[in-house]
Amino acid sequence: MGINIEILEEKIKLLLKHAIKRSVTLIPNDIQNFFEELEKQETNEISKNQINLILENFKYGKEKSIPLCQDTGILNFYIKLGNQFPIISNYSDIINEAVKEVTDDIPLRSNSVDPITNKNSGTNTGLNSPPITLEIVDNSSDLEISILPKGGGAENMSKLFMLNPIDGLEKLPRIIKDLVKEAGGKPCPPIILGIGLGGDASNSMKLAKKALLRPIGSRNERSDAAELEVKILNLLNELDIGIMGLGGKITCIDVHIELAMRHPASFPVGVILQCYCHRIASFKINEKGEILNEI
Amino acid sequence: MRYDFDLPVSTEDLMKLKTGDLIYITGLIITARDLAHKRILEYKKENKNYPESFEKIKNTAIYHCGPIIKKDDSNYKIVSAGPTTSARMDSVENEAAGILDMHIIIGKGGMKNLDVKNQKIVYLAYPGGCGAIASKMITGVEHVEWLDLGSSEAIWFLKVKNFGPLIVTQDTTGKSVYK
Repeated sequence: MGINIEILEEKIKLLLKHAIKRSVTLIPNDIQNFFEELEKQETNEISKNQINLILENFKYGKEKSIPLCQDTGILNFYIKLGNQFPIISNYSDIINEAVKEVTDDIPLRSNSVDPITNKNSGTNTGLNSPPITLEIVDNSSDLEISILPKGGGAENMSKLFMLNPIDGLEKLPRIIKDLVKEAGGKPCPPIILGIGLGGDASNSMKLAKKALLRPIGSRNERSDAAELEVKILNLLNELDIGIMGLGGKITCIDVHIELAMRHPASFPVGVILQCYCHRIASFKINEKGEILNEI
Repeated sequence: MRYDFDLPVSTEDLMKLKTGDLIYITGLIITARDLAHKRILEYKKENKNYPESFEKIKNTAIYHCGPIIKKDDSNYKIVSAGPTTSARMDSVENEAAGILDMHIIIGKGGMKNLDVKNQKIVYLAYPGGCGAIASKMITGVEHVEWLDLGSSEAIWFLKVKNFGPLIVTQDTTGKSVYK
């Protein structure tokens, strides 16, 4: 006998609600550690003041269980679905219900506005929202869902470049540096940068956002891509934009590049900026609904 | 230098401020972001009367913020309320601040076109993302206007106590710390 599907669906919804709450009220350890280290090194008075406020905010949000930032963003869902997991559909419905309920309970700010009428649904759901990315994992009976709340300030600085393949890679560090310079204090630096290198226009943007799920300090397993990540990271930290654009050594926390094969005539580069308040939560369960991991 | 202000505050006092100064404010401030700014300008253009409540906010502060608000019974409670990106209001702020008679703008990221010299405006920065800790210094909601714009776009009249440290990042001499 397999597990009761309705019970499993309810369990997934509950875990989703918990994960959404974690995603907006807690800062992941890697970002927490980054700022604690930065606080020890920083000598500039204004920067130190900002770091202390940021650390205080992480602490207070956790203590009170309230959203760290009032911009609880657009909730991006990433599903890794094992091909032997008992539920293969309904995720859109389950996620929509969970999002509607936590929008009232936590509460979240409703960031779902009709692009023509300007009417806010008030639920963080509606036309093609929230965005869900589904990936099927072979030879697996597990389900893993990650949540990335993406605020407007950083998202507004995102860009798709369609470079000329003849000089694409050569020009890449420069155009990214210009983009981040232009963004200045607007995306809430120090930023995390996701880059989708290659693919087609839509895939490069998707990869750029997905790259943000990687832990701080992790490098692409391809050494040439990893070198490019470090090169761009160092270049961005020469910009002197600093925390919240007030000047200083740290403009970028990390750069993550994901690769995809491109058309010979196209060189798409998707770039997604993420604010320092980089919130992520996830959970993983097996086919019986037992929790394997909760972050 | 550190300054503690009770709002409303005179422009003479604001003209003393220099970039890098730390400010703590107490009193009434209002939130306004994209749609509220748009409507402030529309009312002027269409010769409409502003809400009477706007009279009592003169010489206080405009806070670029779209808060998370929870309504318990009939009371509004601030849940999280950090600053939003001020650059989006940059093209309309001089006119809006002029209409409301405001000389303090609180936000994040700065405003390139702010007429700090002629309109005697200071721009005070609070770090983005710090909505939780900001809510601690907001002691209550006194009033709300234009709620039809949506909860995060409405004009909230917030009572704040020792709201800070706000950093002066643009002063009335035209000096700015933004790169």
